[in-house]
Amino acid sequence: MSLLGADLRAFIAAARKEVRQQRRYPTLFLGQIFWPVLLPASWVLMGRAYSGNDPQALAAFADRAGSSNIAVFVFVGYAMYNWLSVLLWGAGTALRQEQLRGTLEAVFVTPATRLVPLFGPGVGMLLPMAVIFASNFLALRFFFGIFPPIGAVIQAAVIVVLGIPALYAIGALFAASVLRFGEVAPVVQLIRGMFVLACGITFPVAMLPLWAQVWAKILPPTYIVDDIRRILLRGDTIADVAGDVAIVLSLAVVTGILAVAVFRYLEMSARRTGMLGQF
Amino acid sequence: MTAAPAVETKDLVKVFERGRRTIWQRLRREHDKRERFRAVDGIDLVVEPGEIFGLLGPNGAGKTTTMKMLATLLIPTSGTIRVLGIDPLMRPREVRARLGAMLSGERSLYMKLTGRENLEYFAALYHVPPGETKARIEKVLAAAKLADRADDYVERYSTGMRQRLALARALLPDPPLVVLDEPTVGLDPQASRDLRDRVRELKAQGRTVLLTTHYMEEADQLCDRVAIIDHGRIVALDTPAALKRTIRAEEVVHLEIGLDGDESAVIDRLGRSATVARSERSNGTLTVTAHCASARDFVPAAFDAARSTGTTIHHVEVVPVTLEDVFLALTGRALRE
Amino acid sequence: MGEIRAAFAIARKEIRAFSRYRIAVASTVFTPLYQFIIPAFLFGAAFAVNGRAAGLAATVGTDDLPGFIFFGGLIGGLIGMAFWGVAFSIRMEMDTGTLEATWLTPTHHETVVIGRALGSLFWFAISQVALFAFGIWVLGLRLRLEMLLALPAVLCAILAMVGIAYLLAGIVLLIREANFFVDTANFLFGMLSGTAFPVTLLPGVLQPIAFALPTTYAIDILRVQALGARPLFDPALEYVALVGLTLVSYPIGRWVFGRAEETMRRRGMLAQY
Repeated sequence: MSLLGADLRAFIAAARKEVRQQRRYPTLFLGQIFWPVLLPASWVLMGRAYSGNDPQALAAFADRAGSSNIAVFVFVGYAMYNWLSVLLWGAGTALRQEQLRGTLEAVFVTPATRLVPLFGPGVGMLLPMAVIFASNFLALRFFFGIFPPIGAVIQAAVIVVLGIPALYAIGALFAASVLRFGEVAPVVQLIRGMFVLACGITFPVAMLPLWAQVWAKILPPTYIVDDIRRILLRGDTIADVAGDVAIVLSLAVVTGILAVAVFRYLEMSARRTGMLGQF
Repeated sequence: MTAAPAVETKDLVKVFERGRRTIWQRLRREHDKRERFRAVDGIDLVVEPGEIFGLLGPNGAGKTTTMKMLATLLIPTSGTIRVLGIDPLMRPREVRARLGAMLSGERSLYMKLTGRENLEYFAALYHVPPGETKARIEKVLAAAKLADRADDYVERYSTGMRQRLALARALLPDPPLVVLDEPTVGLDPQASRDLRDRVRELKAQGRTVLLTTHYMEEADQLCDRVAIIDHGRIVALDTPAALKRTIRAEEVVHLEIGLDGDESAVIDRLGRSATVARSERSNGTLTVTAHCASARDFVPAAFDAARSTGTTIHHVEVVPVTLEDVFLALTGRALRE
Repeated sequence: MGEIRAAFAIARKEIRAFSRYRIAVASTVFTPLYQFIIPAFLFGAAFAVNGRAAGLAATVGTDDLPGFIFFGGLIGGLIGMAFWGVAFSIRMEMDTGTLEATWLTPTHHETVVIGRALGSLFWFAISQVALFAFGIWVLGLRLRLEMLLALPAVLCAILAMVGIAYLLAGIVLLIREANFFVDTANFLFGMLSGTAFPVTLLPGVLQPIAFALPTTYAIDILRVQALGARPLFDPALEYVALVGLTLVSYPIGRWVFGRAEETMRRRGMLAQY
């Protein structure tokens, strides 16, 4: 049996374990339907309060955000927020728990590649992500009566798929980095807060001070959110955003390499100091 | 005039329901299919003032449920209770004010507070007068041998220290009655001994102590009287010495017998010179516990019995009678099964 | 007297114990900032025409965007206090085992709710002072003297949330998925009270619920008196509704809490582990 085949199976096993664990907590699943609808819906209503249906106010928003369609703008931003949340929570806590339970050590003594515990849990996040995107889409349709053209939806889905490696790499880098911290939760809050403020999740990036806009430019979610909004709201095509996609994919490679490097470094130092269980 | 009993229960019953009855089932008035479980099944107890009274029984026998009903945390299904002459159902707060209870031990402390801060907090909740609080806390800390560690966070305490702090807290209201649920569970032998010494001090101070345990040595050494409890019922109640006398044996002999065929013949033969309290077979070994008047007489008879039935005795152990044997004789089971 | 001392002891314990979790203390300020205040401010500012929140003025009658956000957040923080600071933390004590020891003392069980509310109010006040300071320095929040006129409404809202905290504590002690309930119900309560947007924007079916919550009136009075916003109803009528609902919240809350306590004593749920 090829080593690649065995590694692939190890990845699938790690993903299946995550899915199983999620199924044991029904409210977690309920939350994955509830929150992705409630949170953005409240922001859409906030947007309505701020716009006051005033043509000038809406024009000002369109000028900064690229469109005056508040609902789609907010829902796309929140889809990314939820994606990041699931990813940071899932990947961060999964690896940390493996470490605490000692199962990380157990994986290290198998011949499977070291990358299984680093990237494996992320595969399990794909299902909740699909549920979240679906409930976002349905909420837009049924609560706000918005029907984006099917061609645009398919193209937006392609952008999401192309964004997966980058998000994946962010999750892995985060997971490897938090191994050194005792508590994962506050770090998740902090990092997620940074993304919320920097990537144009609930407000246009144009509202940020210039120095913060520079930071936003090195974060893949900024591009992914913007591209999806352009496709859904302004009728752009994938060809129009190809440059952004190239940047996102390159950032994915850089972040992925960084994640592996951090993880390798921690593993090496653990093997030297003999503290594999707790780094 | 004799003082009222410290604790008195009559036909005390507690039934728990297992499983859930959903709102949907309630709305449709479906038949309640929950399993009913009698945790306490008609307990009559009288604990006299000033004694150390033990409830001895295996896990799940109903000891903790009984304690919680006395301590006002649980409402009985039926029966009556008087704690220091007060009905805990009608006047729960009066009972709580006079009762020092240590139920779930170390789990019941605030880990991010110091020992002293924990006691200050509970002193206020026990309504200790402000003027007395400081002296009272110093007193219980000293008695618990925690005075030098009083200003450390409880999370840095050992299990034994936490248990002593929990007991110190129970003594804050200066209660005439102290109830302790499994006070030495999880403690190392030294910490257990310390805690038992503390319990004896409580008695010396004139307090009544009611404790539960599944350690027979603890009940034997510590208690003036013991109620043996099994499946929610009291199966025997007396002083430890009197309980041990009930099995009409001076000594207990444990035998390990190697045999291939049926064990009934050898058990039958052994039964002629002792009471076979328990026998258990695993693979080719039969383990027998026999109660006898004299091991000097029984052991040679046991070897004769083995020879005549074609079996071999591999191991003999003679021990004095303990409460464990009383429990075995009454229920046919060991305490820790 | 003993009960009052006990309530303050509980509050003091709450303040002490929480202060020892430094990250949690910091997040009482940081989380509302990044989750709500800053994004809401920048979102609202994206609708500004020539630096003026004209859209907001059209909706609520004031163009004071930071004021609108911060006063909504103030009542939102109060709601969070009842849900997390009182109800959920009592549930946490039940799960860790300390509630049983508290229940063994002669202190009235209701005093536990009051004491916790006092302790949480302390942290609520600290975090609001820090948030308002941030608002004044960074987001251009302006405080004016006439804002003090809204103080009775805030005090009334505090009292109402303590009444509601009884009710919540009763529910949270009995249900299995307490965390999920508190998280979602807290959010919905805030939204339905109008913390982030006026309740008139809610779908029609939800508006009757909004008008049954005392906090809806507290927020409205606050925005009317502190910011000069357009009121939902006659402010005098809103005061009557606020006081009335506050008074009603106590008997209902205490009844639910008492029932929950009795159910726990009947079923033996106090220490499940």
